[in-house]
Amino acid sequence: MAEIYLNEIAHGRSGDKGDTSNVCVFARKPEYYAIIAREVTPETVHRHFGDMVKGEIVRYDLPSLGGFNFVMKHALGGGATMSLRLDSLGKSMGSAFMRMKIHVEDGEI
Amino acid sequence: MKKVAIGGGQGFWGDSPDAAIHMIRRADIQYIACDYLAELTLSIMAKQQIKDPSKGFAPDFITRLLKEAGKEAWQKKIRICTNAGGMNISGCVSAIREWAAAEEMKGYKVGYVTGDSIKEKIPQLLKEGWTFPNFDYDGDFNSIVDKIYNVNAYIGHEAIEQCLEDGADVVVTGRAADSALFLAPLAHEFGWLDNDWDNLARGIMAGHLLECGGQGAGGNFMYDWRSVPHMEDLGFPIAELTEDTFEITKAPDCGGLISEQSVKEQFLYEVLDPANYLTPDVNVDISQATLTQVGPDRVRVGNIKGKAKPKDLKLCVGYHKGWKTVSMLSFAWPDAFEKAQYCADIIMKKMKKRGMKADDVHISYIGVNSLHLGVADTSEKAMKDLNECVMRIAVFSEDKSECAKIIPEISPLQLNGPPGASFFGGRAHVQEVMALWPTYVPRDVLDIQAHIQEV
Repeated sequence: MAEIYLNEIAHGRSGDKGDTSNVCVFARKPEYYAIIAREVTPETVHRHFGDMVKGEIVRYDLPSLGGFNFVMKHALGGGATMSLRLDSLGKSMGSAFMRMKIHVEDGEI
Repeated sequence: MKKVAIGGGQGFWGDSPDAAIHMIRRADIQYIACDYLAELTLSIMAKQQIKDPSKGFAPDFITRLLKEAGKEAWQKKIRICTNAGGMNISGCVSAIREWAAAEEMKGYKVGYVTGDSIKEKIPQLLKEGWTFPNFDYDGDFNSIVDKIYNVNAYIGHEAIEQCLEDGADVVVTGRAADSALFLAPLAHEFGWLDNDWDNLARGIMAGHLLECGGQGAGGNFMYDWRSVPHMEDLGFPIAELTEDTFEITKAPDCGGLISEQSVKEQFLYEVLDPANYLTPDVNVDISQATLTQVGPDRVRVGNIKGKAKPKDLKLCVGYHKGWKTVSMLSFAWPDAFEKAQYCADIIMKKMKKRGMKADDVHISYIGVNSLHLGVADTSEKAMKDLNECVMRIAVFSEDKSECAKIIPEISPLQLNGPPGASFFGGRAHVQEVMALWPTYVPRDVLDIQAHIQEV
């Protein structure tokens, strides 16, 4: 078993709607979809972000696109101009997400 | 079989017009749609208009885009839809007419859509018992009523389509939904009915993939940004639709990339529930959608479904929230992070002495954790031998004078704090903080009208 960054097997993009951040996460290869489904859950994502994300996290599964959509509420310090963060629009939430450490079995990737 | 091609010309107010100009010159398209409005853009425009009534729209639509390629678009019969009208649609229409008259474009038809801005209707709606519940937070709308800059409903494609039916060469709107600007020409060309949900959904997704400009053609591309050719000439995406097919491509002889992955990353951008992507025109279901590379820089989009449109319209209310000040000081090796933290600590102790009453303070370190915040690696190992670090303190208060208290305390730290502090970004100033109150309104409150004027 090995610990890797999610970035190695996934890619995606973050967007903002008010104080809600969405991050779409796609498998870099079709066989990685199952690993992401297993390792990247609302619970593990919440643990990764800690108090950076204050609200609920919902995962939507999109097997036909080989990916997932994560919707994270109260994740942008207020959102848009209200946020005091440098990245008030959460443009880097996508890369922050991909920094999550996940576990893969030997031979899985 | 009839094919309609539409290009995405603009991702936001301030975006480069280069790709739109290139498209007009080189791509085989019949329409371009240009989105200028992000969530808070209307509030910024409303504020500009209060200071100067001739402002309040995106003048660069005329001064940068039309001036450069608008006449050529007209000669080639490429029609343009845009929400550049912002808060001042008549001002935008006048500027377009002046430009077209100066270019001697006799017969040029300017369509425009009014009725999205409903600030003046708020008192009556409140009297009738409408409460404007906030999507994101609890709160009483009455607490912000006196501080509102703008109230705009996200409107659909119908009135834009009407302008096109009436022969408009360009259509100007205020807060039309970004994707409605793209759906309107497609519905007009294919004669889609207002309850043809599957087709309306296809048109909306064409808009969705194009409304962010370069982001749909290899910009902001996490999968493999190094593989995107010629980002200095990044082309913007083009959607080609027939009754049966829907493909994304781009203009010839420009940079950028249309691949399965580049389209995917834009496909879910700012989408919440993929089975219920709500727009004023249709409730879109992309939960079973497919994306297939069918040629170089060409991706086919399939299996998009639509359901009946929502009965209410999303309303965006921009209001004055308070004030903020952002101050920065930079530090270099050795111990850059430690010195920056020490400096922030000194400043906050001083602010305590000064009795600063901030409603919120956010301290971060550019080069360390200002983007990734708590997810950033600030371990001793990662911080050892850090070259540089910028301390950043952001303060929010509803009271402007409280925000001003920190400003004179920053520059003295160059001489009075840890070694090597350098004043960064100039003297800070107090900035207004505007906020959004996302809510909804019944459709029948609005009086949407399509108009047309001829040069």
